[in-house]
Amino acid sequence: MLFLLRAFRIFWRALREWSGDAAYERYLCALQGGRGETPAPLSPTDFYLEQLERRYATPSRCC
Amino acid sequence: MKRVLSAGIWLVVGVCGAGALAAIAFHRGEGLSATWFVLAAVCCYLVAYRFYSAFVAARVLALDNSRATPAERHDDGRDFVPTNKWVLFGHHFAAIAGPGPLVGPTLAAQFGYLPGTLWLIAGAVLGGCVQDFVILFCSIRRDGKSLGQMAREEVGRRGGFLAQLAVLTIMVILLAVVGLVIVNALKSSPWATFTLAMTIPIALLMGVYLRYWRPGRVLEASALGVVLIVFVVVAGQWVSQAPSWARVFTLSGTALAFAIIAYGFAASALPVWLLLAPRDYLSAFIKAGAVLALAGGILIVRPAVQMPALTRFVDGSGPVFAGKVFPFCFITIACGAVSGFHALISSGTTPKMILREGHARLIGYGAMLLESFVGVMAMVAACAMPPGVYFAINSPAGIVGSTAQSAAATISSWGFPLNPTAMVELARGVGEQTLLNRAGGAPSLAVGMAQIFSNTIGGPRLLSIWYHFAIMFEALFILTVLDAGTRVGRFMLQELGGRVWKPLGSHGWTPGILVTSAAIVGLWGYFLYQGVVDPLGGINLLWPLFGIANQLLAAVALVVATTILIKMGRWRWLWVTLTPMCALVTVTMTASYQKIFHPDPRIGLLSNASALAGQLAAGSIPAARVAEVHRLIFSQRLDAVVCAVLALMIVALLAEAGRLWYGLVTRQIRPVLHESPYIATRWAAGD
Repeated sequence: MLFLLRAFRIFWRALREWSGDAAYERYLCALQGGRGETPAPLSPTDFYLEQLERRYATPSRCC
Repeated sequence: MKRVLSAGIWLVVGVCGAGALAAIAFHRGEGLSATWFVLAAVCCYLVAYRFYSAFVAARVLALDNSRATPAERHDDGRDFVPTNKWVLFGHHFAAIAGPGPLVGPTLAAQFGYLPGTLWLIAGAVLGGCVQDFVILFCSIRRDGKSLGQMAREEVGRRGGFLAQLAVLTIMVILLAVVGLVIVNALKSSPWATFTLAMTIPIALLMGVYLRYWRPGRVLEASALGVVLIVFVVVAGQWVSQAPSWARVFTLSGTALAFAIIAYGFAASALPVWLLLAPRDYLSAFIKAGAVLALAGGILIVRPAVQMPALTRFVDGSGPVFAGKVFPFCFITIACGAVSGFHALISSGTTPKMILREGHARLIGYGAMLLESFVGVMAMVAACAMPPGVYFAINSPAGIVGSTAQSAAATISSWGFPLNPTAMVELARGVGEQTLLNRAGGAPSLAVGMAQIFSNTIGGPRLLSIWYHFAIMFEALFILTVLDAGTRVGRFMLQELGGRVWKPLGSHGWTPGILVTSAAIVGLWGYFLYQGVVDPLGGINLLWPLFGIANQLLAAVALVVATTILIKMGRWRWLWVTLTPMCALVTVTMTASYQKIFHPDPRIGLLSNASALAGQLAAGSIPAARVAEVHRLIFSQRLDAVVCAVLALMIVALLAEAGRLWYGLVTRQIRPVLHESPYIATRWAAGD
């Protein structure tokens, strides 16, 4: 049972990472882990919009 | 002892693979179980991954796990994000797997199952995977630079320009051809058209949810979207059964082409969060689910492959598209074996997210193996249906006629028995008015998938639901490619236009956005329209052009990879990239030459234009069709010019690279690598 719970937790974390659900949390972590002066973090909405603009500016889906 | 056991296991895998390949190659007569295809592919992939990719990783590229990757050095949580290798594998696979590995093998099935299956496996193992892997490695060593930037730095300015031009060309042709695949899948089908039309409001709803209600909560929005999609697939049946609604959603090819062109313009000009991104999320989930379901279905049902190993159409007289097995099989199956477009993904976001250089093997080589496996499954699905039915669906009306009787008579005369009643019943079974003349690969693949799915769950009762689910799945992620491609094409045009007039290059200036969106949509829209009005179905012409453009980009990528290997002093291992490069150049140049100059009007563009011009001069064209024939002649000549330009680009690139390689060999040019300097990783080995 414990093994199943652990497996599900790993799967859920991977799914959130893969889908982009965890992107904002990742960004906050990266910001906190950065050296020197930390800039003010973007809001979830601004981060989401900025991320999309960047992602779809280069070929992101193949034939 | 452990080594002996390991050697024994790999010997068994190798023997199983060789045995399965022999079974596929030498089997004649009764239907062959799909299990052989799965076994052959999986064993070959396992051996290739274990030995060949390990050799490329260790000897050719000398991957160094002690070196910090761009994700570690520039970690900003935005562009550069260190990502778990399995998550990144999923990202990379979702990005490279599009409609190509499904449609290409389905079309190439006209030669029989053997040429396409062998090319899918061998092409991927020795060409496609190597290309993706090496370019990913090169980009990691250069801070995640794009293929164009690497070509400019390592090969020369002209190399960079050619790479950029190749990307724009391939984008235009790709968008036209995928648009045509959708048109042929939705033509005269109210159920499929309704389902796909409904994905637009669903995507808009998801876009608003993600933008205003729960920013960035992709899983919640996608779950909502998937539930609604399943509902509209079922609701499509009610729409198709209500005459007044069915009329609204029954559209001709031309009407659908204009609807798709208008949609492409909207997707390019609208904010990305509103339509493009939510559709992409939906498409990624449904794609992953459908591919897994297809693999599971094939393993459970183990359908017998009914198509012969080789058909009479290897001689070039095929009804789906004209041209001999060499070079056209290798052009038709691009994605799934070797795809130049992948080099853009391998030098896009993936290198910026990789944790360690060593992961490039799994992600670059491994993900392409999986894509090749998708191609093999598509081949199985296409070949599992009776060959007569396959040809009836994929042949244009210009060749087999537009009635079940004429199609049955023509196709039966080729040696593939077809009962006209069976076609009518099959169409009724999948909830369509007709399945005849639905060239493009999507409908026949959907029939194949639906038969496999319905044999697993639901039986004949659910055949129509499965068929429309498969059509929706194909059309959904084709539209995603169309959305994303049009937008990237717009950016490219803006970048080019910005050099002439600065405001045009600004991404925030609305008139500039509208003008460049209209220009890129106009470019692919023209080719799409010509494909729709072409009496031979358009796919006959557009798909080979797309294949040539895609393989041209692969040649660009392999030239860049070879140049970098030369500069790294890996002379002994140059054959690793040089061999697939030479093979691709040979295939692409032969196909280009034949497409332009072949005397058979079904293959050669110029001879087709001349034949039409001759008919016009002889007065054998009815007055009502004169204008249309003039247009056809123009488009055939234009396509010949496009083909010639693609071939000349390859020649120019090879000349540029050859000059550089000669200088490097004779030491007249000093090898200068543009790698980022070595910085040791700060992460522990287990991270």
